[in-house]
Amino acid sequence: MKQFLTKTQVDDLTKAAVVDFRRNKVRTVLTSLGIMIGVMSVVMLIALGLGLKNYLKQQFENLGANLILVLPGSGFSGSGGGSFGAGLVGGVSFDERDTNNLARIPNVKYTVPVYFSNTTVEADGEEMFAYIMGVNEEMFSLMNSEILEGEVFGKSEVAARAKVAVLGGRAAENLFDQPEDAVGKTIRFENQRFKVIGVLEKTGDREQDNSVTIPYKTTFGSINPDKTFWSIYLGVEADRDIEEVKAKAEEVLLKRYNEDDFSVTEQSELLSTFNQIFNIVNGVLVAIGSISLLVGGIGIMNIMYASVTERTKEVGIRRAVGATRKDILMQFLTESVLLSVFGGVLGLVLATIIVLIVRFFFPAAINFLAIVITLAISSGIGIFFGVFPARRAAKLPPIEAIRYE
Amino acid sequence: MISLSHVSKSYFLGEEEVKAVSDISIEIKQKEYLSILGTSGSGKSTLMYLIGLLETPTTGKITLDGKDVSKLSDDTLSSLRNRYIGFVFQSFNLINKFTVMENVLLPTRYVKKGLDFNPVSRTEDLLKRFGIWERRNFFPNKISGGQQQRVAIARALIMKPEIILADEPTGNLDTKTGDEILDILEDLNKDFGVTVILVTHEKVVADRTKRKIYIKDGALAKKYL
Repeated sequence: MKQFLTKTQVDDLTKAAVVDFRRNKVRTVLTSLGIMIGVMSVVMLIALGLGLKNYLKQQFENLGANLILVLPGSGFSGSGGGSFGAGLVGGVSFDERDTNNLARIPNVKYTVPVYFSNTTVEADGEEMFAYIMGVNEEMFSLMNSEILEGEVFGKSEVAARAKVAVLGGRAAENLFDQPEDAVGKTIRFENQRFKVIGVLEKTGDREQDNSVTIPYKTTFGSINPDKTFWSIYLGVEADRDIEEVKAKAEEVLLKRYNEDDFSVTEQSELLSTFNQIFNIVNGVLVAIGSISLLVGGIGIMNIMYASVTERTKEVGIRRAVGATRKDILMQFLTESVLLSVFGGVLGLVLATIIVLIVRFFFPAAINFLAIVITLAISSGIGIFFGVFPARRAAKLPPIEAIRYE
Repeated sequence: MISLSHVSKSYFLGEEEVKAVSDISIEIKQKEYLSILGTSGSGKSTLMYLIGLLETPTTGKITLDGKDVSKLSDDTLSSLRNRYIGFVFQSFNLINKFTVMENVLLPTRYVKKGLDFNPVSRTEDLLKRFGIWERRNFFPNKISGGQQQRVAIARALIMKPEIILADEPTGNLDTKTGDEILDILEDLNKDFGVTVILVTHEKVVADRTKRKIYIKDGALAKKYL
């Protein structure tokens, strides 16, 4: 079969198109602008989506590895697909009976009831919005908490409903000038006073670092009159026990609740659920970004049509001196592809710069695949939207074209 | 070398069929210097485009060196135009965004099978011959009409064609410059044996050629007007 285009021909076409662009700089840049913006937004959205994913993964890695979460609602397990929203709201509230029942499951090392709320906490005239965690003493071992100053509460403080609090690293920073000074001071929230007995090292997890952790039994007054928990964390001895403990936990809870009222899940499952959610969100964002690519492509088509009309006479002259229809087609197609790729590269460069800046605040990432795909798509757009005007140019009857004024 | 036998060409203007060329049979021999003379609208330009393979006849047969070209593909016709035919137009038809040099080189870009000469040095020869070498990097709108027409002739000659088709080449020029252009065309015929076909409505121009073809209402006529 005959080769479609030789390398010299491609070189010639490219050179001719570039010469043409140089003599029409403003139009070239304006035409590429649409594709530039499109590519920029798509690349940036992908980068930010990846960043969000990385961020979440980091957050999850801060949680202990052999952690099982008992959560209200049904769909948080990752297998449910569309119904994950139910896991975030609704479902049941757990109580001490559940905790005791779950604690009896073999191979469960830690059982931590988790009361969770958020409120304004004040100390020494400083105020902050913090997460209140009502837990038992096992929480600190389960989370591998590291103590910066002071100590954490124990079994006796939980049983005695002691008004003591352990501050997350950032909470201590916000409420006191020196986090180390917090120990022994008093903090107030929900009209109650708590003595700070310890400060934890920062973990990088926003919730943990901004938390005020108190014995769960202490919440059983005005803070948590129903004596219920949002969640129960189970810590198991070893990886291999996870599946068995999960099954047992479900069995235990089914005696009291309906299947849809709770879910037993582990961290990796939760992560995959989040990944699923973010893949969907990311897909939607990229689809929205692609609309601007489409608009950019239509912009190129528009300009190329105008260019064909404007250059009708030129087409006629070229045909007279020996250009075939294919030569004319390739000439216009080369131009639209180059315009599109030029815009694509420009958009990629801009997106990269922006992402590099954003990285100071957020782990955004550009991956190589995104670059390749973007360039492929932008040249694809150039071909797709360029082919119609190019065909019109190629089909111009030479005589009419040459007489065109 | 080129012969037309019973060639007609008609266009449709809406519903109405317009016969621009009707039943023309002529033979043009190698190294001939001839003119096609007719008033505007007589069909002489259409006839020229038919000879120049830019148009295909509605009926009839055109042969080039004995080959029937009426049924050839676009690629082949384009390549024949590129190799054998050079056009010179009334309005020069240079590409304004290209320099003089680039305009002359344009046909060489459409050569599919390699050149047997160096295009740049041939361009230099031609431009020097026509006294416009110093203008090689100028754009067409920066040089005079006479100079533009010389560039157009150089472009028509770059591929060493056998036929030059000139459509009212002096129409946009004053008499003196026009005469110079006609001198150039005449020399091409005399010195290099290029077939030159001059299409014009001016009898004085046609009178310079050895053979005259009169055309009226699309058909051959015995004499002008």
